[in-house]
Amino acid sequence: MLVEIIQGSEGGGLVVIKDSAECDGRSLLKGFIKAAVLRNEPVHVLGFEVSEDELCTGLDSGPASRLVFHDGYSDPLQWLGQGKLSVQDYSAQNMRNRISQSDDPKVVTLVIDSLSWLLLHTPPTAVCQSLQELSRGGLKVKRVVALLHSDLHEQGVVGSVCHMATAVVTVTPVSGSVSAEAEPNGIVRTLLRRKTGRVSREEECYSVREDFSVQILRDLSTRKQPAPDSRGETKQDDPAANLTFNLRLSEDERRARENLSLPFTFSEEKKSSLLQPRSGGGRILYEPDASDDFDQEDPDDDLDI
Amino acid sequence: MTTKCSHARCAFSAGCRVCVLGLVQSFSHYSAVGQRLGVSLPQAREKGQLVFLEGLRGSLDVLLQDGPIPDTAQPLGFLRSPVPELRGLFEFVQSSLSSTEEEVAAWGPPVLIVDDLSVLLSLGVSPGAVLDFMHYCRVAVCSRMQGNMVTLVHNEEEELGDEDSELLLRSLTHQSSLTLQVQGLATGYCRDIHGQMELRWRGGSQGRPGRDQVKLFQYKVQDKGVSFFARGTSSAVL
Repeated sequence: MLVEIIQGSEGGGLVVIKDSAECDGRSLLKGFIKAAVLRNEPVHVLGFEVSEDELCTGLDSGPASRLVFHDGYSDPLQWLGQGKLSVQDYSAQNMRNRISQSDDPKVVTLVIDSLSWLLLHTPPTAVCQSLQELSRGGLKVKRVVALLHSDLHEQGVVGSVCHMATAVVTVTPVSGSVSAEAEPNGIVRTLLRRKTGRVSREEECYSVREDFSVQILRDLSTRKQPAPDSRGETKQDDPAANLTFNLRLSEDERRARENLSLPFTFSEEKKSSLLQPRSGGGRILYEPDASDDFDQEDPDDDLDI
Repeated sequence: MTTKCSHARCAFSAGCRVCVLGLVQSFSHYSAVGQRLGVSLPQAREKGQLVFLEGLRGSLDVLLQDGPIPDTAQPLGFLRSPVPELRGLFEFVQSSLSSTEEEVAAWGPPVLIVDDLSVLLSLGVSPGAVLDFMHYCRVAVCSRMQGNMVTLVHNEEEELGDEDSELLLRSLTHQSSLTLQVQGLATGYCRDIHGQMELRWRGGSQGRPGRDQVKLFQYKVQDKGVSFFARGTSSAVL
């Protein structure tokens, strides 16, 4: 499902990539950018967190040149007076005006790097409102793809932003190796809200190649194969292997163990030995004394019938 | 402390210009540690290779004196402000490390060392303001001057629930290409092993794809440096 979302066949509107300090999501964001550029779609990037050079590193010169970078990184708070994009300038209307300044008549993919930067400087309500307006479609913006560092905000804020998204892609770390072809970058959990109202969820192990194309290594949704964990094993190891003592049984030992009857098992032999009378052994001699002879119908023993 | 001076020593030997924001110790303290590592900080300062901000002395000038703030203490002017902003401190960093073309040819890429950021939170600066300061330093030092930044953040135990400190640490982890997490041994005090250090190279830093690479070392602080070794290979054990 991740590949369909990256290719644009699913998840128009707003796509949110959620990452954390343990697992970086910017590589996946660049995967989205590259795929859009290869489809000849104009891509406008609102860059607040990394420079244009760093964002374009690894992208071929062709895709990099078709990218329009709105520089909110160099002077976002106007300390240097360079007249670049600042945090105060951010609003849906201003962004549309900036995009319209480019001569390209096609609708664009707008990439926001990152929403966390905006949320730390602008009230969340304003950010959500602007995202809603931008991702509503039409008026030059086909799709908005945004990166969000989920561990920098309260749960409510992250939840509010993701609630508006058509697709939420959450990346989590993975250790160990999944396939011989490539080292996985992480595990991605995708949530897609389709136009029909149905919500689909999938979990996949992914890898981002050097050229920022995204490869799915394994589909973990069906849970037929467990996700690799830090123990790194996907099949049972024989616990009796590699020991300095012997835990295995030979054939004779195995047969002797099977033939052994346990002491409290009620087998046929035991039953017959109990039922057969044995001479001299096990006789019970009972001599009732006066208090044992208890007649239910005459408890005081004074009836003379 | 020793690690920061080791960074400085490497920078000096590479001929780089170094700016140190010393907010928790005086210059003489760093100088004494540097001497043990074989680096003369007073000499580097005289040569112009080292720019040192005396945070402790400067803060007294700002807080205890009435009247205008002296020029030497301008970077610490935020201490008097009701809503502290670190723009002055950034301007100090920028002016210290900006070089003419001849100086660029003479010195290598600059290094900024901040010791430390947690004390700024204690002084009433919001984590947002600290992050803005770090952002501008990154723009100036890393992107424009192709230099490096080293900073220290204290991470208290999670039970203490210092949200500002955690937010600062997580944000900086997102932005850093290398994180060194230093902590004591889980088993307690050991005479020959003073602690362990986790090195995490952030996947996706410098614009390249990849996942985080994590390595764990143990270390022992010695008189003239720090020795690192893999877990279980301390000289006390082998």
